[in-house]
Parts: sequence; structure tokens; C-alpha cells
Amino acid sequence: MTIANATQWILAIVLIFSSLGIVLARKPVHACLSFLLTLLSLAVLYLQLSAPFIAVMQVLVYAGAILVIFMFVIVLFQDAHAQIDKVQANSAPLFLTFAAGAFLASLGFLGSRLIGIEASKDKLFEGYGSVEALGKALYVDFFFPFEAVVLLFLIAVIGALYIGKKEI
Amino acid sequence: MDLSLIIFVSMAMFAIGIIGVLVRRNALIFFLSIELMLNAGNLLFVAFSRQWGNQIGLVWVFFVLVVAAAEAAVGLAIIINLFRSKQVVDVDQYNLLRG
Repeated sequence: MTIANATQWILAIVLIFSSLGIVLARKPVHACLSFLLTLLSLAVLYLQLSAPFIAVMQVLVYAGAILVIFMFVIVLFQDAHAQIDKVQANSAPLFLTFAAGAFLASLGFLGSRLIGIEASKDKLFEGYGSVEALGKALYVDFFFPFEAVVLLFLIAVIGALYIGKKEI
Repeated sequence: MDLSLIIFVSMAMFAIGIIGVLVRRNALIFFLSIELMLNAGNLLFVAFSRQWGNQIGLVWVFFVLVVAAAEAAVGLAIIINLFRSKQVVDVDQYNLLRG
């Protein structure tokens, strides 16, 4: 087993356990930290899949921006998190069985069909995944989708500011 | 590179995210689970982009990142507003629209 292969196995195990940590954590802060671990191991995996720019974006946008907002919100309602455990759930057992059944069935079925997919041996073109190549793709081939996404983000920021006001 | 391992991990992450959305009642963990599902999709985009040597998958990852950031901003603003009106973060208690 090569080093690259071994790292991939380790990363896969870390990814699955840290995502389980998000769902199973009692306190939201622990879930957030678990999510941070997921994001960082995803970034390492992206580096290994020769997408360094995406890895940097992952750390900057997710770990740097989104997770910090989550942390702020968690700190905002610290008392409310403790109250959830005191209230009886409405329908958790039903959903739990359904979700666990769907999870196991899909994993088993799809996993049995996945064995034997070979990774492509083709050489990647020069500069694949670099900032230059991705920037060219974004600003030349995907110019209008890019502008649309910019508009979407602007609208989202305005909407968030408006919703967040004390009185609407 | 072992593609089937990555597909399996991505599937598992997505399924765990679905379980989080269905089972957890804390609005914030609900949201984290949605972000986890977006990340599972991103992982598949990157893996298949690498597989076919085609950069379009990476461009889509970029778009997904932007949409995730927008979604987090708006969603957390909504959660804060809901918390202001009801003083709870339990999604079972948000039943104002129930018929």
C-alpha cells in the first residue's frame, strides 16, 4: 500500500467519524468542532485530488467564515440548547428508524455496486486545478453563471441584514 | 487514487447528513447537517473532476461554496429571528405554520 493510499484510508475514516460526531454530539459546540475536523480533512483530500485552489477556498470560506457565524449563533443562545433535552420529542423514534433503515439500505446496495471501479490513469493537463486555470474557466467559460452567483450572494446578504433587524 | 472509496465516503456523509436533518431537533445541528450534505456533494464533484481530467466540476464546487455561504447567512438570520420570537432552538416547537 502506497503512502497516498494509506492517507486516503485514514482520511476516509476520519471523515466518517467526524460526520457522525456532528449528528451524535450532545452540545452544539462539539458538533461545530466535529464539523471543523470534517472540513479540514476534506481540504487535505482535495489537495490529494490535485485541487489546491478548492482546498484553500474550503478552509477560507467554510472554516473561516461559515463556521465562525455558527459559533457566534451558538454563543448567542447558550441557555436554549440545554432546554431541548427537557422537552419530549414529537416523532423522533419513527424518523430514527426510517433514517437508519434508509442509510443502511442505500449504503449496502450502492456499496456492493461500487467495488471494482478503477481510477483513471490519464495524465491531467498542465496546471489542472491551479488558480490560473480555474480563474480562466470561471471568468471566460462560466462568466454568466458567475455573475448570477454574485447577484445571488448580494441578495442573500441584503436579505440576511433585513431578516436580522429587530423589527421588520 | 481509489475512486470507489471516495464515492463510498461521500455517500456515507450525505446519509449521515440526512439522518441529522431528520433526527436532531436543535436548529443549529439541523443546519450543520445540511452543510455536511453540501460538502458530500462537493467531494464527489472534485473526485469526478479529477477522474475525467475536466475542470468544470471544480467550477461547480466554487458555486456550491458561494451558495452554502449565502444559505448560512440567511438561514442563521432566520434562526436568530425564530429564537427571538419563541426563545427556543427546538425545531419541534416551531409549529406556527402547522394547519
